[in-house]
Amino acid sequence: MLRKRLLALLGLLVIASMTLVACGGTDVPAAPSVETVEVIVTEVVEVEREAFTTPHPILSDLKVRQALAYCTNKSDLLKSVYPLISDEARAGLVMDTFIPKSHWAYAGDENVTIYSYDPDKGRALLDEAGWTLAEGADFRTNADGDELSLKFTTTSATFRQTWAAIWEQQMAECGIRIVRLHAPASWWFGDTTGIARRDYELGAFAWVGQADPGGQTLYACDQIPFPTNGWEGQNAMGWCNEAASTNIKLANNTLVQDERIAAYTVVQQEFTKDVPSIPLFNRTETFATAADLTGFAPTPGQEYYNYNVQEWARPGQDTIILGFTQEPASLFTLVEDAFVANIAYQIVRPAQEWHLNYEFTNSPITKELPTLENGGTTNNDVEVSEGTKVVDVNGDVVELAPGVTVKNAAGEEVEFTGGTVTMKQLVSRFEIADGVTWEDGTPVSSADLELGYKIACDPESGATSFITCDKTANVEFLTDAVGYIQTWVPGVQDPLYFVPVWPIYPNHQLGDVPAAEWATNPLVAETPLSYGPYKLVEWVKGEKMVFAANEHWVGGAPATPNFVIQFVTPESAESLLLGGEVDILASESLAGLTQALVDAEAAGAIKTYTEAGGTWEHIDIQLFIR
Amino acid sequence: MTVFYIRRLFQMALVLLISAIATYTLLNFAPGGPLAGLRQIQQTGRFQITEDDIARIRAYFELDLYLPYRFMRWFVGWPTGPVEIGGREYFSDVVVGCRKPVETEVLNDDGEYEIQVTGCNELVYMKDLTGRRVSRGIIRGDFGLSWRLLRDRPVSELIISRLPKTIQLIGLSTLLSLFIGIPLGIYSAVKQYSRFDYIFTSLAFMGSAMPTFFFGIVMILLFSLIPKEAGWLYVPAGLSESVRGYTIPLLGEVAAGSVKDRILHLILPVAVLTIVNISYYSRFVRGSMLEVMRQDYIRTARAKGLLERVVIMKHALRNALIPFITIVVFTLPGLFSGAIITESIFAWPGMGRLYLLALGDYDYPVAMAIFFIIAVLTVIATLLRDVLYTIVDPRIRLS
Repeated sequence: MLRKRLLALLGLLVIASMTLVACGGTDVPAAPSVETVEVIVTEVVEVEREAFTTPHPILSDLKVRQALAYCTNKSDLLKSVYPLISDEARAGLVMDTFIPKSHWAYAGDENVTIYSYDPDKGRALLDEAGWTLAEGADFRTNADGDELSLKFTTTSATFRQTWAAIWEQQMAECGIRIVRLHAPASWWFGDTTGIARRDYELGAFAWVGQADPGGQTLYACDQIPFPTNGWEGQNAMGWCNEAASTNIKLANNTLVQDERIAAYTVVQQEFTKDVPSIPLFNRTETFATAADLTGFAPTPGQEYYNYNVQEWARPGQDTIILGFTQEPASLFTLVEDAFVANIAYQIVRPAQEWHLNYEFTNSPITKELPTLENGGTTNNDVEVSEGTKVVDVNGDVVELAPGVTVKNAAGEEVEFTGGTVTMKQLVSRFEIADGVTWEDGTPVSSADLELGYKIACDPESGATSFITCDKTANVEFLTDAVGYIQTWVPGVQDPLYFVPVWPIYPNHQLGDVPAAEWATNPLVAETPLSYGPYKLVEWVKGEKMVFAANEHWVGGAPATPNFVIQFVTPESAESLLLGGEVDILASESLAGLTQALVDAEAAGAIKTYTEAGGTWEHIDIQLFIR
Repeated sequence: MTVFYIRRLFQMALVLLISAIATYTLLNFAPGGPLAGLRQIQQTGRFQITEDDIARIRAYFELDLYLPYRFMRWFVGWPTGPVEIGGREYFSDVVVGCRKPVETEVLNDDGEYEIQVTGCNELVYMKDLTGRRVSRGIIRGDFGLSWRLLRDRPVSELIISRLPKTIQLIGLSTLLSLFIGIPLGIYSAVKQYSRFDYIFTSLAFMGSAMPTFFFGIVMILLFSLIPKEAGWLYVPAGLSESVRGYTIPLLGEVAAGSVKDRILHLILPVAVLTIVNISYYSRFVRGSMLEVMRQDYIRTARAKGLLERVVIMKHALRNALIPFITIVVFTLPGLFSGAIITESIFAWPGMGRLYLLALGDYDYPVAMAIFFIIAVLTVIATLLRDVLYTIVDPRIRLS
């Protein structure tokens, strides 16, 4: 028996050796192995047509889309999810375009088509479109007898289930059958599933509104994702309106505020005329604090509500406790951009700019933002020739070569044929405020900004996007002040040119650490050196982050000497606030205004704040089918 | 006996391997992961995700490797590159993954168009694995790096940070449940159909039927929020310790982080778990005791004139507790996995909460590590149960 087993083992060894020989061993190279990439020409499966070029049989009809909009009662949807806020506050949340009404870029009610709730008008439009309601029937049909039935996809979040159920009823009242699919967020927002693959007829989700409305990747014709373009672009609806497309690009590529407003107005006009999407409402942001907390002032447009954390105080308390339902994964915000990570990071390293009421201003650690108006930025004419790195008319960074189309200094689109072409080049001088000092007493220097640039542009750092690095022609670090001169690649005409570009990292502490090690280095990820109002003293995983006043903070001593972020659970958050274990629960930790919070506020135990947040819900309409 | 243990060890290894393959495969086929939501960030002049960015991030998290190779690297920390024998490299050009898949719309058998991966624009070869970061393998105790919860840092660090709190909570509540539940079950069985038995049985049913979630909230209201508002004695509503000192009527000043503070924070979650466990354990012991009390050897013991106490404690209880061993040993994986709902309600920083967060945030290395450790503890508990059976019941022999 034993002999048989030994023979079998020997046999296996012989086969293994023969396999190795057959594989043809190669000599071990003396130099370290370098990752090689080989382009393989693969057989492409024949397809009969390009995907998403056939208009949707129902939704490509403008009358149907307008009917959907007229049949939508946004106020009732809001009531379903925010039953406790006032009617006035509710009215302020309704969205008619992709820009909030209080935003500087909003076109104004008179310049857009507003679809106020009018089911009769909606029904009439559907009749005109050939979708009629037979006597006794609940849902409309067309001449072929097909029912007006649409698949509606969104996440399974309770919030969306609530308003979607009401919307389904509203559509049913107009004779439209809505088949709801509440998919897991992981599928809906997945990289290769859901929205990313245009896998919906009607799809609801939210965009986060910002001080700058952006929108180029959402509404431009060349931003429609297709299988053939690697699904690049975010215009998943497939909406292509030439006027809107041209103006959204203009709005994102001109430096003149008035021109931007005019361009955004055109886009909003076309957007509301074509109805590729139904904007619904801004989500609210609810905050609840101890009744006697002072200094807490969340402001629309300012993403990080703790921008003035140094002013927060409670009488008789030496510690302020902020409850967080999510623990930051890392404080290396170059790779970890979760909201909670940024909130925690702001405490030790405040942002270089603020967005109070959607307006950009410098924060206490920076000098005036460099604009064209104040002379901090110049938009120079430069001559470029073949081989120069430029930004073409599509916004891509390319080497100038014959056939490349660029915008010349006069703003005309020209195809490069050789020789030279004059283009615009932005140059900005960014400066850090005097007296900004690390918690160990070392003054912040230009070398710290240089390290920020080096790490942000090193692919080994693990950062997600390097587009800013690609668009940078040169960075000159100042010796006469703390700051740098940023020279963009010719053709970059980013309207946010005045926003500081590079992070500040302590060169004296981390200057020798290779970029590849930053993500795992505790000095980066867990205990970043502070130049902010507080320094991070201790991070007890799963429990809390403890901060103490930074005596070197440029703004003087904070109002409260200690600050703690306490990690709580969504289930426990309210009881911990009411029980006095935490002082503040912010919007990311509260599901909204609840009866318990309203009652506690009435009893004088807490104070609540409800504001329109930047995030807005909408229903996108798929205009094409596969 | 030795043959039994050897066979059992092989079985355990096989069960662990199968469970590891199954859970790893399931999680890897689930949507989500490090790229989830990336396309939902509006792209601007300062933030754009290109095809190259996606490929780079996929490679960073090993998602560009085919599943069997990814699993092997996670499980045993191999392959790490071509095999080197006698100064020569083998398998260098073996394809182990795809960096940039080609997706094409194809007509499926149902006559519908669907998007499928039909090729690859950039293959990953075995030689490309050289120099890539890799764990030593989960079977050597290296659980790899966290994707989301503790980004790029060891999973073990996360687990170690949560484990003591879970052991504290589950250990204490299990001990209390055993000390209270077993005598209650015995007494209820001995006094079957008495008033105590009726009351106890009703309460036990209520305790086991009431959802922990609801029970926890009721406890917070009754013993924390309402009495605090009324100025009475109360206990903290949640967390494992306070950040700043506080005063409780009758107990006076409580310093943050003191032993007194920690004990006070333990009371509510331990009470909830203990009450739920007591109702379960005591009903089990009661049923088992009633079964044993009807056996002939109990009648014989009584006929011999033994004291009732001796009959119950020595003859009945020992036999009644044999099936109870199963319950007790399986608290071992529970000590690690924690109590998801209780930890959530009381914001207790334990393993249950970590597990929930790992699944919710698509941190699959963390979720897989927890799965695997629970699987290991479960097979150990199974072995322990078999061994304990032979000790408490001489009739059982392992062979």
